[in-house]
Amino acid sequence: MAEIQLRNVSKRWGSFVGVDDFNLTIADEEFLVLLGPSGCGKTTTMRMIAGLEDVTEGTISIDGQVVNDLDPKDRDIAMVFQSYGLYPNMNVYENIRFPLKVRKVDADSHDERVKRAAAMVELEPFMHRKPAELSGGQRQRVALARAIVREPNVFLMDEPLSNLDAKLRVSTRAQIKNLSHELKVTTIYVTHDQIEAMTLADRVVVMKQGVVQQVGTPTEIYDRPANTFVAGFIGSPAMNLMEGTLQDGTFTGDRVSISGLNGPNGPVTLGFRAEDAHVGDDQGEISAPVYTMELLGDATMIAVRAGGAMVSVKAHKEFRAEIGDTVSLSVSPEICHLFDAQTGARIAAE
Amino acid sequence: MATPKALQQPFSLRFASASFLAFWCLIAAFPIFWIAVMSFKSPVDAFSANPLDVIFGPTTRAGGDGLSILDIAIGLAVLIAAVRLAFTRLPKWVDRLSPQGMTVIGWLVGAGAYAIGFLVVFFGILPAVLGVLNSVAGPLGAPVLGLTAEHYYSVWIENGFWRNFQNSLIVTAGVVTISLTVGTLAGYGLARSGSNLAFWILIIALIFRALPHSVLVAGYLPVFINSAEILRPILGDNAPTLYGQPLAVIAVLVAINQPFTIWMLRSFFQNIPNELDEAARVDGCTHFQAFRWVIMPVMWPGVITTGLFSFLLAYNDLLVTSLLLDAQNQTMVPAIAGYFNRETTTTDQVEAVAAAVSITAPLFLLVMIFQRQIVSGLTAGAVKG
Repeated sequence: MAEIQLRNVSKRWGSFVGVDDFNLTIADEEFLVLLGPSGCGKTTTMRMIAGLEDVTEGTISIDGQVVNDLDPKDRDIAMVFQSYGLYPNMNVYENIRFPLKVRKVDADSHDERVKRAAAMVELEPFMHRKPAELSGGQRQRVALARAIVREPNVFLMDEPLSNLDAKLRVSTRAQIKNLSHELKVTTIYVTHDQIEAMTLADRVVVMKQGVVQQVGTPTEIYDRPANTFVAGFIGSPAMNLMEGTLQDGTFTGDRVSISGLNGPNGPVTLGFRAEDAHVGDDQGEISAPVYTMELLGDATMIAVRAGGAMVSVKAHKEFRAEIGDTVSLSVSPEICHLFDAQTGARIAAE
Repeated sequence: MATPKALQQPFSLRFASASFLAFWCLIAAFPIFWIAVMSFKSPVDAFSANPLDVIFGPTTRAGGDGLSILDIAIGLAVLIAAVRLAFTRLPKWVDRLSPQGMTVIGWLVGAGAYAIGFLVVFFGILPAVLGVLNSVAGPLGAPVLGLTAEHYYSVWIENGFWRNFQNSLIVTAGVVTISLTVGTLAGYGLARSGSNLAFWILIIALIFRALPHSVLVAGYLPVFINSAEILRPILGDNAPTLYGQPLAVIAVLVAINQPFTIWMLRSFFQNIPNELDEAARVDGCTHFQAFRWVIMPVMWPGVITTGLFSFLLAYNDLLVTSLLLDAQNQTMVPAIAGYFNRETTTTDQVEAVAAAVSITAPLFLLVMIFQRQIVSGLTAGAVKG
């Protein structure tokens, strides 16, 4: 139904660069997540696709048609806003119906379509309430229903869950995933929460300061981060990143020495994930005093200082150590990722 | 709702603040109360040295115009009932009987019908009924409070004050309509624009607001006096001069008022989140449709509040109206100033007082009607929702 192409899209305000040279093709029916810290240009990118923000350079096309100069209403999109953007003077029913009404959709079909959309997000009991009388989760569901009622070509969602409490976020997230699967509509979803990105996305675009860092499936991004920024942003906890030198396949740094690696000699950044390493016997690759220990219930997180950084490792849930005790962590070379010390880019294994 | 503990005050403090407030209200309301009392009395009573005579009006009573205790009691009861009915039942009737989407017209018709009904009952039926009752009630039916409406009659009918009222209506309606139309459009544009130009327009508006009103009047005077020459090419030889016409006053008052309405409406628009416009645009509205169908319905409290201020400015203006209007086009305020300045008898003075009381009545009514809209909290919903 709708393939979205962004070619060399840039957004500048004076000398400030919001989005820099964004290139991407979003496949039909794809669920794409734009992920990054605040101020990285992800919302700006979405607003340019929506037509709420002008494109400084480049072209955006939907289904092969360049939409740069089209009004938002002519792009056949629907958008869900972070703070809902509901019309406070209309009740839930009228809010959901509004897109049909302004677009002069055949009036006989309104009632049925509104009711169907409301049923999809379980809003039937609240049809006659005003937005002010609804809870945050209900308001967000009204916004969702308003977006789906018209069956647009593209859904745009701008951090729709960030105003909800943690529990509601999980259930609404599931609802969004289910809806997008059911409706088979191209969806672009902006978030700064990497868990949302991992759980929802077909593909994730990680952005930083207006520049795309990596595009890939959640697995790719988690397993093969393209640079230290992505490595440090994705995962909970994020990947451990240590500074050191690689000499003949052996990485050495402060309190750490890992051999059996494959890469060029010189300074590198070495990364591994907390859950891949474990607390081992005395001959571990890292040997350092415990800085802190956190009990998570299903596991125990041990943090030590090594390689110029804080390194955490997931240990068995019954593991106990005092702060200051020396522990030995075993980090096998297969779980390690090497990054260029200067650029932060991944060093591909030869 | 019980007062939270943190805000509770000791009895002595509450008593002191309540008595201070009561005292203050008394002082503030006294002049209005006093002229209201005076306006219903014959000149001898109204200017009597004894304040009790002013209140009870023995001469007026002797003249045959007075209210008995029965009159006062029943009259007050009817008044209170009418007000309560207006605030409790009337909204329900209007809601039930007005067709979908026509609530505004429903309110106009409902309020109009209610007002006519009240006037018929209070001034038509009630005096007749009381006349009969007074004659059988004995001492309770004897007049105790002198009260005559003759001054109102002579002001409104004989002196032609209704014409001034009409002119006031034209001027205020014109000023409010133009101020609000331009003000909402400009206020919306300026609130949503991030450009430097918008900032400078607002600063310039502020400078115009700071100018003394007399400067604006003086600046416009030659234009209005010579307007016949300017208009001749368009309207032909008998083109009217604008000088002396309500139109001229409307133009000047709008010029005085517009900067303020723009600033005020802009701040109301700024309280409405941008997301509302954007949601509407994405949902299929043009920019103007988004303004009309989504933003304006949320803006009513702001528009009504600003409209009320514009109304007060136009309604109470003396300087511009007295300088620019000729005698038959005068609005109420300069007309009253004229009454007070007349070479005068006490009767004229009481008539002037009656006119002064007359012009406060519409204000009172207006604030009563709209205070509910002002506090309706629609904007609060917009900010949160």
